[in-house]
Amino acid sequence: MNKWLPWLVSILVLAASAPSIGEVAAEAAFRQGMTAVQSNDFASGLHYLELAITDDPDNLRYASEYRQAIIRRKEFDRSIEFFEKLLISNPSSANLHLNYGFAYVDKIPVVGSITQVILANTALGEFTKAVDLQPTWIALYTRGESYLFWPRIFGKAPLGVADLERALVIQQKSTKKSYFARVYVALGDGYCKMDLPDKARSTWQEGLRQFPDNLELKDRLSLPMDDLLKHIENGFDPNKRVDTDLRAIWSEGQ
Amino acid sequence: MRQPSLSVTMLLGAGLLGTVWAAAQTADPTSAAAPWFEDVTHKAGIFYRHHPRQFDNPYASIMQGYARLGSAVAVADYDGDGFEDIFVTDSCSTCKNHLYHNNGNFTFTDVAEQAGVADGNDDDNASTAALWFDFNNDGKPDLLVVRFGHSILYENLGSGKFRDVTKSAGLDRYLNAIKAIAFDYDNDGYPDLFFGSYFQPIDIFHPSTPRFFPESFETANNGGGVTVFHNNRNGTFTEVTEHVGLLTTGWTLDLGHGDSNNDGFEDLYVANDFGTDRFFVNNGNGTFTDKTATAIGFDTKKGMNVDWGDYNNDGLLDIYVTNIYDDYMKECAMLWQNMGDGTFVDVSNEVGTCDTGWGWGAKFVDYDNDGWLDLYVMNGWVSGGKEDYVPDIFAMVTRPNVDLADARNWPPIGNKSLSGYERKRLFHNVGGVFREEAFRQGLDSLKDGRGIAVADFDNDGRLDLFVTNADDEANLYRNILPTGAHWLTLLLEGTKSNHFAIGAQVRLTAAGKTYLEYVNGGNGFAAQSTVRVHFGLGGVTKIDSLQVRWPSGLKQTFAGPDVDHLYKVVEGQTANTLTLWRPRS
Repeated sequence: MNKWLPWLVSILVLAASAPSIGEVAAEAAFRQGMTAVQSNDFASGLHYLELAITDDPDNLRYASEYRQAIIRRKEFDRSIEFFEKLLISNPSSANLHLNYGFAYVDKIPVVGSITQVILANTALGEFTKAVDLQPTWIALYTRGESYLFWPRIFGKAPLGVADLERALVIQQKSTKKSYFARVYVALGDGYCKMDLPDKARSTWQEGLRQFPDNLELKDRLSLPMDDLLKHIENGFDPNKRVDTDLRAIWSEGQ
Repeated sequence: MRQPSLSVTMLLGAGLLGTVWAAAQTADPTSAAAPWFEDVTHKAGIFYRHHPRQFDNPYASIMQGYARLGSAVAVADYDGDGFEDIFVTDSCSTCKNHLYHNNGNFTFTDVAEQAGVADGNDDDNASTAALWFDFNNDGKPDLLVVRFGHSILYENLGSGKFRDVTKSAGLDRYLNAIKAIAFDYDNDGYPDLFFGSYFQPIDIFHPSTPRFFPESFETANNGGGVTVFHNNRNGTFTEVTEHVGLLTTGWTLDLGHGDSNNDGFEDLYVANDFGTDRFFVNNGNGTFTDKTATAIGFDTKKGMNVDWGDYNNDGLLDIYVTNIYDDYMKECAMLWQNMGDGTFVDVSNEVGTCDTGWGWGAKFVDYDNDGWLDLYVMNGWVSGGKEDYVPDIFAMVTRPNVDLADARNWPPIGNKSLSGYERKRLFHNVGGVFREEAFRQGLDSLKDGRGIAVADFDNDGRLDLFVTNADDEANLYRNILPTGAHWLTLLLEGTKSNHFAIGAQVRLTAAGKTYLEYVNGGNGFAAQSTVRVHFGLGGVTKIDSLQVRWPSGLKQTFAGPDVDHLYKVVEGQTANTLTLWRPRS
């Protein structure tokens, strides 16, 4: 799951205003945490990253780096508990709900098939709270993609497509970013899951016009229908780790 | 659970997949020909149809979804005429079980009533499986009818008649058993009896509590587990479950034995629904040690079937276990490759045997006699109406703090389907990797399959298949393989070892390769296959040698017999050559 316009917006907003004392402290804790994590001192690293997020709960970057460290340490319950507690004092932070949902998603590949359903369902609930609080590109893209992971029998693909179409509208009004290609990819996948292959193909073609180097779009357009459906379904295998690293957003933005 | 190590992956990737997969993709010269199996069920005189048990209790509407069990088959030559006979179970309270006597011409006659083995169902008992085993070592296979309730042991009297000896044998015990296998775990010369039970031993026909369902979908420990009876060598049995170290409480659906470390003692794999499978190593002193953690790791899958076979011809027995693989639950089947160091690696994904649908019985069988064990897999749970039961189940499991052990919390299935109408899988082994060929070979029925019995019903050297289906007719598939691939079949007779030599290993060497087969005592969900040892030999026309390792420990080596024949091998025989064995005319 991917990429994140609102964070860029927050960067711009932050750039235009002087950082608060809390934000300065958060940034310092974040740097300390990252240094520790990079030298495999996870005990300190996770502690400082948690301090940073506590000081700046809406900060997607801090939370994303924290979750990546958690994934490396396989301490999935720690991040779930951490976000759960932090939400008690920050119930209206859309990004916190998003990261809480991601924390569940991060755990999915390491649990049994029924627990996967329970975690996915909980994550979806958090993504919905994020959308309800702030229907941003990232929230809509995340929830939209999340719906597509559900087996067809649940009929969630149309809900996913609806979210992704809204995300597409948002990105069409924004400065072009390479990660916007992901919405074209996901939207086409959603149309496929709704048995609308022509619409899927035209979506991917439009995406490729916008992003001519995107390999995922090229792959999809080059595959025959049977292989394509298999390829897409393979991508929604809950046993495979979903990329919830948001790093691409700020690396491109900066 | 162990994932393939780098070295195994590299071995498969570089060694097998690189060369063999290319071969697998090569056009099959006979691909345009007719299928190699012919469904001859009715032509053979088999009109048996399974009927699920209808429960009459407060939880009946819920249990209905979980009662599609009991369609099972067991094969043995009960009358010693040289032709394999078939026993099948039904489950409704008024339904009869059937004993199909092989007439020797690929037709069968139901003789269950005359034989005295038809009555396997009543209000308090439901047949779930069957097992032929010679408990008194008299050379005549006796029959165990496995039941939810009290199982029945019928002694084979040798005149086409059987008598119920359950009580005198000390086996009159209430178990919700769904599987039994027999093997001689202590190598004392008599086969011992292992039951696998699904529900714990409560009266599920009239439960006194609603809390008898699995407490978890992934870690349930309130099932029936394993029960072991030691054969006292005098017609009686003694329960020794705890003593031998096999006290378990999983939701056991299948048991499979094999000698994983070639130490001469049979080890045990236990397939459990709703939680981890278990692997027990035989200590060689009449006890077992639970080696799950180091051998296979703990899983959360829905184990349905165990079969053992040397799929890659490396001289070590591997294990195949089915689980559930569907759109909503991607639990690969597990092909446990035996690494020879007490550990197994699941290579199912790498070799192409992962996706079985909702798997049930699965058997290793070299159906094309090419010297590589193929896999035939049953699947499908409930093929009902158009509505799907999956959302109901998911709604239940996502409900906070739901008590899954309470049957009342489970949604009734009604006429809904759950992984229904699934096409069966025939994984053709092409040098260690598999390609699916059920349709190609005429084996892709859409029924809710359960058990597979493998046997050569016409003694022509081509292995036939008998398949049971829940709430449906069975399928008898006659193998009409046209390739002329060579074969060899052995019927082993123990003298110091148990009579049917369960646990004996045979190593056949030909053309620079050695192949391993063994006699198993009933492996495979809802089915028991032949006790004969069969080798497919492909184009090989000369066998160099045969080595038999008997359960007693005796090893005998024989000069290579001619191919394309059935031989009898008697433990301790002095002749270096084998005797041709022919059915009675």
